[in-house]
Amino acid sequence: MGSIVLPHLQTAWHVDQAILSEEERLVVIRFGRDHDPDCIRQDELLYKIAERVKNFAVIYLCDVDQVPDFNTMYELYDRMTIMFFYRNKHMMCDFGTGNNNKLNWVLEDKQELIDIIETIYKGAKKGRGLVVSPKDYSTRYRY
Amino acid sequence: MASGRKDFLSQQAPENYVAGLGRGATGFTTRSDLGPAREGPTPEQIQAALTKRAQLLGAAAPTAYGNQSREKGGKEDKEEEDDERFQDPDNETGLFAYGQFDQEDDEADRIYQEVDEKMDRRRKIRRLVKLPSTPLQVSSCSSGKAPVWIEYRLESLATYREAREQQEREDYERKNPKIQQQFADLKRSLAAVSEEDWANLPEVGDLTGKNRRAKQNLRQRFYAVPDSVIAGARDSAQFDTTIAEDGAPAGDEESADGTMTNFADIGAARDKVLKVRLDQAALGSGAESAISGSATSIDPKGYLTSLTQSEMKAGEVEVGDIKRVRVLLESVTKTNPKHAPGWIALARLEELAGRIVAARNIIAKGCELCPKSEDGWLENIRLNEGHNAKVIAANAIKNNDHSTRLWTEAMKLETDLRAKKNVLRQAILHIPQSVQIWKEAVNLEDDPADARLLLAKAVEMIPLSVELWLALARLETPENAQKVLNAARKAVPTSHEIWIAAARLQEQMGTFEKVNVMKRAIQSLARENAMLKREEWISEAERCEDEGAILTCGAIIRETLGWGLDEDDDRKDIWMDDAKSSIARGKYETARAIYAYALRVFINRRSIWLAAADLERNHGDKEALWQVLGKAVEACPQSEELWLQLAKEKWQSGEIDDARRVLGRAFNQNPNNEDIWLAAVKLEADAKQTDQARELLATARREAGTDRVWIKSVAFERQLGNTDDALDLVNQGLQLYPKADKLWMMKGQIYEAQKKFPQAREAYGTGTRACSKSVALWLLASRLEELAGAVVRARSVLDRARLAVPKSAELWTESVRVERRANNIAQAKVLMAKALQEVPASGLLWSESIWHLEPRAQRKARSLEAIKKVDNDPILFITVARIFWGERRLEKAMTWFEKAIVSDSDYGDGWAWYYKFLLQHGTEVRFNSSPKSDSEKSITDTNIFTFQEKRADVISKCISTEPKHGEVWQSIAKDPTNAHKTSDEILKLVANTIN
Repeated sequence: MGSIVLPHLQTAWHVDQAILSEEERLVVIRFGRDHDPDCIRQDELLYKIAERVKNFAVIYLCDVDQVPDFNTMYELYDRMTIMFFYRNKHMMCDFGTGNNNKLNWVLEDKQELIDIIETIYKGAKKGRGLVVSPKDYSTRYRY
Repeated sequence: MASGRKDFLSQQAPENYVAGLGRGATGFTTRSDLGPAREGPTPEQIQAALTKRAQLLGAAAPTAYGNQSREKGGKEDKEEEDDERFQDPDNETGLFAYGQFDQEDDEADRIYQEVDEKMDRRRKIRRLVKLPSTPLQVSSCSSGKAPVWIEYRLESLATYREAREQQEREDYERKNPKIQQQFADLKRSLAAVSEEDWANLPEVGDLTGKNRRAKQNLRQRFYAVPDSVIAGARDSAQFDTTIAEDGAPAGDEESADGTMTNFADIGAARDKVLKVRLDQAALGSGAESAISGSATSIDPKGYLTSLTQSEMKAGEVEVGDIKRVRVLLESVTKTNPKHAPGWIALARLEELAGRIVAARNIIAKGCELCPKSEDGWLENIRLNEGHNAKVIAANAIKNNDHSTRLWTEAMKLETDLRAKKNVLRQAILHIPQSVQIWKEAVNLEDDPADARLLLAKAVEMIPLSVELWLALARLETPENAQKVLNAARKAVPTSHEIWIAAARLQEQMGTFEKVNVMKRAIQSLARENAMLKREEWISEAERCEDEGAILTCGAIIRETLGWGLDEDDDRKDIWMDDAKSSIARGKYETARAIYAYALRVFINRRSIWLAAADLERNHGDKEALWQVLGKAVEACPQSEELWLQLAKEKWQSGEIDDARRVLGRAFNQNPNNEDIWLAAVKLEADAKQTDQARELLATARREAGTDRVWIKSVAFERQLGNTDDALDLVNQGLQLYPKADKLWMMKGQIYEAQKKFPQAREAYGTGTRACSKSVALWLLASRLEELAGAVVRARSVLDRARLAVPKSAELWTESVRVERRANNIAQAKVLMAKALQEVPASGLLWSESIWHLEPRAQRKARSLEAIKKVDNDPILFITVARIFWGERRLEKAMTWFEKAIVSDSDYGDGWAWYYKFLLQHGTEVRFNSSPKSDSEKSITDTNIFTFQEKRADVISKCISTEPKHGEVWQSIAKDPTNAHKTSDEILKLVANTIN
C-alpha cells in the first residue's frame, strides 16, 4: 500500500535529482525491494507518517534491483535501508547500533520514526552532519 | 515551493549518467565484510562518462566545471582573479573538482575577494600611520596605485586614533622603563667580560631556604647493597652457611649452561642450608652459650619433640615430607650422635614410613652411641619383639641398672609369672628405693600373706611412701592395721591420707566414737605444718562419702570446716556456699555435716535452719527432716516460718495431732502471729473441725485482728455456706478495715450469690470509692452490671476504673470484652487499638486482640508482632500455642505450652491449657522431650514419654508448683464450692472450663 503511493525513484539520476532538488527539507530515501516483507512493513509506516512530516521531510522509495548504482557506494546490502540527506549532504544519525550511516532495520513505531526524522532535520538545520538518535537502539535491534 | 522542483520525477534521465555524479556523492565503508566498499565515482570514471556523453551530444569535452560555467562567471578583474586562483600553491586546488562550478559559487568567490581586498587596504593605512618616519613600503602592497591614494588619506586623517594611541604608549614606556631598557647601557660593556670573569662569578646562595629540604634529601641517597657485601656480612656471623657441592663444583655446571636455571639444585641448596642450621642448633645443645641470642637459635629438645609429635599423629604424611624430615634428622644424628632424642625421632620416622628394619637398625645404633638414654632403650625395646627385645632389655639394664622404667619394661616383656617375679627381685636388689617396682612386685603376688611380707619389707626400705603404708594397712587385719598405721604415722607424720585411713579403720572397726582420730589428726598435722586447705579437706570428705565412710566424712567436716577462717559472720556465707556446692555435686552427707557444723556455730540463724531443712526434705527422709525442724524451732522459736514448715510437714504426713501440738507450741512462742493463727485455722478446717476453726478464728480476730484474719474468717464462713454469718463478719470487718478491698469484694459477691443485685452494686460502689486502686473490685463491679444486662453502666464503670487505675491491662481487656460480648466488634477494635497504645507490653491485651479481634488468617502475623513487643509473657505464649494447636502443629504447640509454663509456673491457666492439650492429643504425639519445669525434678534426658506418663507428669508438677494465678484458675479456685479441692482437681476443672 505504502509503496504504491510514495514516489519511486526510477534511476540513479532521479535519486541524485531528488537529493539535489530539495533545499529546505530532509530527503528520506528507502532503499530496498517493494515486494520484500520488511520493506512492505516499513513502507506502510513511511506512508502513514509522510503527511505528518511533509513540512520538513520528503520521502522517496528506491528499488535496489532497479537502481543498483548505489549498492556498493552506500553498502545497500540489507533488505531495507533508510538514508537521510539534506542539501546534498548525507546525514548520519547515531542510533547506537554501530552504523550511523543509515537506518537498516524496520522501525515500526510511527512516533519514533517521526522523532528520528525531526531530530535529523533539526541537526541538519544547525549544520551538523551527525546527530544522536532520541532513542538508543543498541539493545533492541541486533544484526 | 518544493513542488515546483519535483518535476524531475516525470523527466527522463540523461543517457550514461553516472550515479552520484551530479551531486558529487561520496560513499562510506562501515563493514568491509559486506562487499567492496568504494568511494563515489573516481575522476577517471567521471571523465570517461562525460566524454562519452559529450560525444553522443556532439559537443566539446567538458571541463571539471561543466560546460557553460566559464562564460557565465565573467567579471571586471577576471584575468587577475584567474591568475591568483590558479597560481597560488596554497589554494585548495581540486577540492571542488568533482562539483559543478556554477554562478553562485562564482559570486561567492567574488565577494570573498572583495572582502579580502578591503581588509588589505585597511591594514596598509595602519602600517603607514604607525611608522610615520619610515619610508612607505610600497613594495608590500599588491596594488600599484596605492601610495597616491594613501597619501591623500593620511592628510585627511592626520589625527588618526591609532597614531594617538601609539604616542601614548611611547610616553608610558618612557616614564616606566623596562628593566631591559634600564640596563641597556650596561649591557654594552658585557662584551668586555673575559672568560675567566664569567667562570669566577659567585653562585647565588639559597637565601629563602625554600629548597633546602629537597637538597638534603637529594644528598641522602640509598643504594642497593651488592650481594658481595651481604655475603660478607653473612660469613662474618658465627655460622658458616656456604655450600660446597660434594661432587662436581657448582661453577662447572653454571658455566656449562648459564642460561638454564636448575630448580632442583636450588632446592637442594636450600635444604643444605637448613641442614647446616639444624646441625648448628643441635651443637648448640652442647654449647648453648655460643649460639644463644641469635635469632635462628632453635630449642633442639622442643623442636624434636614437636617433630615426633607431628609424626605421631600424622598417618597421612606425604612421602616428600618423610624424605625431607629424614634428611633433617639424619643430619641431627650425624652432627650430634650422643643426642638420643634425635635417634628416637629418626627411628620413629622410619617406622612411620614403614621401614621397620631400618628403624631397628637406627635405634640400635642410637643405643650404642647413647647407652645411658632410657628413652632410647625403651624405644629400642618397643621396636623389637620377643627374644630380641629381652636381649635388648638386658643390655639396657646393664647400662642403666637404676632405671625403674627399664626394669618395669623388662618385667612386662616376660610372659611367665615366675620370670616376672625374678626380674622384679633383681630390680629390687638394684633399686630398692623404687616405689613403682615394689608395687609391681606386690601386684604380682597372689597370696595376701606374701604380699604383706613384701610390703612390710617395702615400707622398711621406703618408709616415706604413703601408698605402700596404706596398701600394707589394707592387707593387714584391723588390729595389725592399726599398728601399721601408727608406724606409718611415725614414719610420715605429714600425711593426711594415713590419718584418714586410720579414721576409716576406726569406723570399720566400730570404735569410731571412742577415739576422735580426726581431732588428733588435725592437731598433729597442724603441728607438722602439713595442714591441708579447707577446700581440700572438703573434697577429701566427699571422697570418703563416695567410698561409704560417712562417719569419717562427718568427722573430717566437723574438725576442719572452721579451719583457717576468722571467727566472724562471713563464715556463715562461706559454709552455706560450701554446702550448696556439695549438694550440687550430689554429696549430701558432706552437705549435711557442713550444715550440722554451721548450726553448731550459728545456732540462731534461721537461714541455715531453712537450708538444712530443705536439704533433708529434698534428699533426706522424713524423720531427719522433723528432727532438723524440731531443733530449728527450738533454736529459733520466733521464726514462724520454721514453725509453719514443721506443722505442714507433720500435717502432710497425716499426723494432725502432732501438727496441732506444734501449732500450739508456736502459739506459745508467738502469741499474736496471724500466720500461725491462719495456719491453725486451715489445719482445723481441713480436718473438718469447723467449730474449732471458727473458735480459733474468733480468737484470732480478737488477738491478732488484722484484715487478713477478717478476710479469712469471712471466706471460711462462705465456704461453709453460712452467708448470713459471712455477711455479718464482712460488715464488722469493713467497719474496722474500710480500705480492705477483698472485704468489699466478698460483700459484693455474697450479695451477688444471693441475687441481690442492688445491694451488690452498692457494695461494689462503696468499695470502689474506698479502694479506687483495686482493679479486681472494679472488674467485679463491671461484671455485675453486665450480668444485670446494663452494658452501658458496665462501660461507665470501666471508664471510671480506667481513670482511677490508668495503664491497667486487665481493665482495658475487660472494656474490650464488654464490647465484644455486646457484639459491638467495631467498638471493641477501637478500644483495643487505644489499649495497645496505652499498654503496649501486655500479653493479656495482645492475646485478647489476637484471639477474638483478628481474622484467623492474620492471627499468626499478629502473634509474631506481639511476641516482638512483649518478649516473655505466659498468656501470650499460651495464645501462640493455641494457634499452633488449631493448625494441628502439635509439636510446636507443645513447645510453646512448655515455654509458657517455664516462664511463669504460677500461671494456672497455662497448666490447664497444657493439660487439656495433652488430654486431646496425647495419643498422637510421641513426645521426645521433657517439660523444662523450674522444679529440680525436671528430667533432662530425652526419654520417650508416652502421653499417659506425660499427662501424669504435668499433673504431678502442677501439684508441686501449686499455681495460684490465671484468670480462669483464680475464678475456679476461689469459688467457695471448690474450697477444699487440691491442685490437680482444680486443674481438671479449669481444663474443662476453658475453651
